[in-house]
Amino acid sequence: MRLWLPPVLLAVLLIGLSTGMPALEPLFHWIQPDKQQVIYERESFLFLLQNHVFLVIVSAAAGTLAAVAGGIFATRPSGRDFLPLVSQIASIGQTFPPVAVLALAVPVLGFGEAPILVALMLYGLLPILRNTLAGLESINPAVKEAARGMGMSPLQVLVRAELPLAGRVILAGIRTSVTINIATAAIGSTIGARTLGDPVIAGLVNGNTAYVLQGAILIGLLALTTDSLFEALERTWDRRFSPQVAG
Amino acid sequence: MSVNRVIAALGLLALALVWLLDLGAIQPNRIVPGTGHGLVSAVGWGGAALVTSALAGAILLAVLRVRGRYLLLLALIGLSLALLPLLLEVFASRHLPEDSPYARSSVGAGFWCLLFLLSLMLIEVVGQLGRRRGLQLLLVVVIGSSWVVFLQSDGLESLSLVREFNARPAKFEQALWTHLTLAFGAVTISAVLAFGLALKMMRSPAWQRPILGLVSFLQTIPSLAVFGLLIAPLSALVAAFPALESLGIRGIGWAPALLALIAYSLLPMVRNTFVALTEVPEELADAGRGMGMNERQLFFKLKLPLALPVIIEGVRITTIQAIGLTAVAALIGAGGFGSFIFQGLGQAAMDLVLLGALPTIVLALLADALLTMLAASFRPAAARV
Repeated sequence: MRLWLPPVLLAVLLIGLSTGMPALEPLFHWIQPDKQQVIYERESFLFLLQNHVFLVIVSAAAGTLAAVAGGIFATRPSGRDFLPLVSQIASIGQTFPPVAVLALAVPVLGFGEAPILVALMLYGLLPILRNTLAGLESINPAVKEAARGMGMSPLQVLVRAELPLAGRVILAGIRTSVTINIATAAIGSTIGARTLGDPVIAGLVNGNTAYVLQGAILIGLLALTTDSLFEALERTWDRRFSPQVAG
Repeated sequence: MSVNRVIAALGLLALALVWLLDLGAIQPNRIVPGTGHGLVSAVGWGGAALVTSALAGAILLAVLRVRGRYLLLLALIGLSLALLPLLLEVFASRHLPEDSPYARSSVGAGFWCLLFLLSLMLIEVVGQLGRRRGLQLLLVVVIGSSWVVFLQSDGLESLSLVREFNARPAKFEQALWTHLTLAFGAVTISAVLAFGLALKMMRSPAWQRPILGLVSFLQTIPSLAVFGLLIAPLSALVAAFPALESLGIRGIGWAPALLALIAYSLLPMVRNTFVALTEVPEELADAGRGMGMNERQLFFKLKLPLALPVIIEGVRITTIQAIGLTAVAALIGAGGFGSFIFQGLGQAAMDLVLLGALPTIVLALLADALLTMLAASFRPAAARV
């Protein structure tokens, strides 16, 4: 249970700060003495946090589904022709800077939450796709042969042997994808998505360092919470499925 | 030789999308959304027939079992990509009203899809031909120079992207230099730092965990937060030492941007340098010692050359990342192509957004291609594939 302590503590701190930020007003007055208003109030921090998390979770879920489906398709006998191209797309796509992808989504889809969801999903599925391919391709053919020899159908081989074996690598891909998307969703404030990036952008526009700090601290905490959550998930996975690795 | 289902599928998809979506649009001025034109309306029946037959030809070649079909496909698809801007030129000459100087033509979804799918087809063909480096370079040069010639010609003067560029050529050049200086400056500084840290980790293993822990912690914090968190301390620093201000260091601007970029660049750089240097096989080091090399010679003549491709791979990842993050740094006033993106978003001027976003992508792709080639050229001949 000690594994889950850091994410829980960080989450408590994150939610605590999101609700209790106004209590720190004296501190921010000291940092920003020349402004009347030092606590960002256009939207509650808790709402921004919820919306930020919602955007990341929806895009991660859709991205994971699409990427794992694509990865499975490209490694089956019927889709193998597409494997070189799909893996090239996964690696070339990642050279596109996330902020440029975000910017390109606006002319196509307009301002608001729709372009950011699409950009987050498209960009986020690339690391998952790459890892799904790597995970499925690295499985020893003898293992699949043995599973088939036990009388498993192709579907059973996939669900009971291949996916559990590739799962750890896929999980690492999801972690990379979510880390990038938390950062990109924050920048999404510039295209009208209401996330924790809002106070930062508002602070930069009005020259109010206190706003910038409040947004930046919460974004940083959200990233750390998520990262420690994945750390705990990965360790739990190692313990359950491959005890020799966990040592 | 079998049917190439990949090219056939991509070709069919391209054919469907280019007929269904708008190829381009005409805008009365910079802000008002334009009226879209489909393939036939945009380039006439002749142009539509040409596009259709090029795509149909590619599909046919993918299905038929002709000798040397991949070379034919390469020529067909490469030529199509090189001549793609011609479609926009024809479109502009047919539809742009002559009496309104503010009218502009813009690129539609159909054109983008065609560009994207043709590029994918090209990647597949090059893969089938066995990824010869010289061939790839030739293709990039031919297609790239054709686009540059088209974009500079008068026929595309009305293209919104070209208009935005022509409105601010000096600013564009300045943005390019700022972007390059910031990104490459950060990569260079972090490469030196990372090399030092990796050496420290090799000499004293007790430092491995804290150093790797610190640099991966830095990478976890989202860019916007890092930029934001650096403003207050830097402002305080400048307030305490006013001499710093004469150097151009302020809470916003290039100083926090460079610091944040260096912090981000450390993880891939340290990790790759360390892994590369420690993974040189011990037998090779022993062989070197047996030849009478001392530890210094061993490092410079054996370990470093062997580690170089992996170190350059680290530089590649870092450079791509730094080019993207520099665009974000425009939010704290660091300049670069990001300033066009965010200005454009602020003014709802989508062409200005494109003028910032497209060069950023091109820079990242160029850096990727160049550093991949550099890493390949340093790989020992025996390990080359």
